[in-house]
Amino acid sequence: MKTAEERRTFIIHAIAEILEIEPEGIQGESQLREDLGMDSLASLELLSTISREMNVDLEMEEAMDIATVNDACVFVERHLEAGATGASASPA
Amino acid sequence: MAALEIAERARSGWDDEETLGMLEPIGRFLRERVDPLAIDRQARIPPEILEASAELGLFGLSIPESHGGLGLPLGAVCRIVAELATVDRSLATSVGLHAGLGSRPLVDHGPEPLRAEWLPKMASGEAIAAFCATEPEAGSDLKSVRTKLERREGSDSLRLEGEKAFVTNGGFAGVFTALARSPGIGGARAHSMVFVPKGTAGIELGPEEHKLGIRGSSTLTVNFDDVSLLEGQILGTPGQGMALAHEILALGRTVMSAGCAGTARAALERTLEHVLTRRQFRRPIGEFEASRVHVARMASRLFAMEAIVDHVGALAESKRSILHASTAAKVFASEGAFEITDTAIQLHGAMGFIQETGIALMLRDCRITRIFEGANDVLLVLMGSELLAMRPAEAERRVHSELPAALGGAADAWEAADGALSAAAASVRKEYGVRAIERQSVLQGLARAHMELMAASASLDRAARLGDERSQELGAFAAMDLIDRARARAADLGRDARRADHARTLTDRLYARLAGEPSHPQGTVREELRS
Repeated sequence: MKTAEERRTFIIHAIAEILEIEPEGIQGESQLREDLGMDSLASLELLSTISREMNVDLEMEEAMDIATVNDACVFVERHLEAGATGASASPA
Repeated sequence: MAALEIAERARSGWDDEETLGMLEPIGRFLRERVDPLAIDRQARIPPEILEASAELGLFGLSIPESHGGLGLPLGAVCRIVAELATVDRSLATSVGLHAGLGSRPLVDHGPEPLRAEWLPKMASGEAIAAFCATEPEAGSDLKSVRTKLERREGSDSLRLEGEKAFVTNGGFAGVFTALARSPGIGGARAHSMVFVPKGTAGIELGPEEHKLGIRGSSTLTVNFDDVSLLEGQILGTPGQGMALAHEILALGRTVMSAGCAGTARAALERTLEHVLTRRQFRRPIGEFEASRVHVARMASRLFAMEAIVDHVGALAESKRSILHASTAAKVFASEGAFEITDTAIQLHGAMGFIQETGIALMLRDCRITRIFEGANDVLLVLMGSELLAMRPAEAERRVHSELPAALGGAADAWEAADGALSAAAASVRKEYGVRAIERQSVLQGLARAHMELMAASASLDRAARLGDERSQELGAFAAMDLIDRARARAADLGRDARRADHARTLTDRLYARLAGEPSHPQGTVREELRS
């Protein structure tokens, strides 16, 4: 997963897999809880999958502010950026 | 009646005139006609007992008055189911299942023609309700149900196909509500809930299961073999069946928790009578400190169980979500009932182990409640992940500002323990990050502490509501006991992640060796134990 677009596709497919829904129905602005019905266990599963597959260390306190699919994508990008520059990532 | 007095009889927020009016004839019916040992021996509730239950209105508890029922709020339904459970848990399970999981899907989400046709029959007991969710391969993991609902090609009708397991009330049910995956109905991977009257062609019932407890209740497999349904038999929004299942399970868990409290109350009352009259070493055994500690703990635990059920009823009454609180109540009440009935057997000595005493039956009847309607282990993980992944809304935090002075000390301790738990949750988030999901024992620890604080808070509220000195003493004792436990858990979780990791490494290694995972050939541990 070299590009942001590939990572975005991966995140959407991971959400679809965890929630057993079709990836086509997932929009960037979809609310993970309200629109997609993601509960806390599912959201932890998603973040854990991202953390493992992308080899990023995601801070839980920051991850708690993720509300939408876009938030999740931006959050990951910032973490990767921060990892590359050595700075700390701020919540999306 | 001295024993009953000690047990503190006034107990519910739903001891209103209407509920109490119903309880009197129900109590008489239970005392005069229901024989729990005979029901257990014969593994069935006699039809005349079900008929008498129907005459008392017990099958109309949750059904609106407009459709022939009593339209009672959830708290009052709980109060009545608890009363049934003080005498017979099989009957309480059958009635409670009908009132919760069985009828509420149709009551709350049924199309009006279906409600008009079936609710009066369900209220009168002509059509007892069953709920079909579990399958041979789908227990706690409900999403993996294989039963399928799909549109028939070239027709308006739907086709339901699949096998449902452990269906309570299945043997005498007149209507079934079933959860099925419904590809193409509300989404490619959606689920829907459907209402299926028993007379529908293609329904086959399996033989009765032989169970450890609640043996009088009916439990069997229901097979839907090419069953034809109409669109109007879908409950709620097509494709939203899983959300509906969670909502309905929350109601079912609350009613079940009330049943646990009822059984536990009966066990406590029987135990009190026993320790006051049974003499050993020239004294009633109730005079020995060891017995007194047991009985005091039973009573305080029961007080908290009834309080947490009341709390969920109050949430429902104020139209707030009960998803979270009902889960905590289910785990707390099912574990409490098992502990209390187990202690009851202990205090009865060998007599408690004998069927005829009736205490052993209470323990057997309680065992399933830690499993059905969501296995406790799984529910604790879900609760723990909820706590980790969400910041509690300020509005949901309990602040005990209006409690009487007698409860003030416990309220202060509660606030301190709640703070310690929040700090422990923050520490777990920092320690494990998002991979905390893999640390199920940590999630369960957090959930337990949270559940204990919820029960403590409910106990303080209940004690304040009841107002008398004895209730306040019992409530404060119950709350402090729970607060102490929660505080100890929070301290462990926050302070000693490394110790938890060490324990996990040891248990992981032991399991790997027992299971014969690649790094540890099977049998090694057994061989070591033998040598």
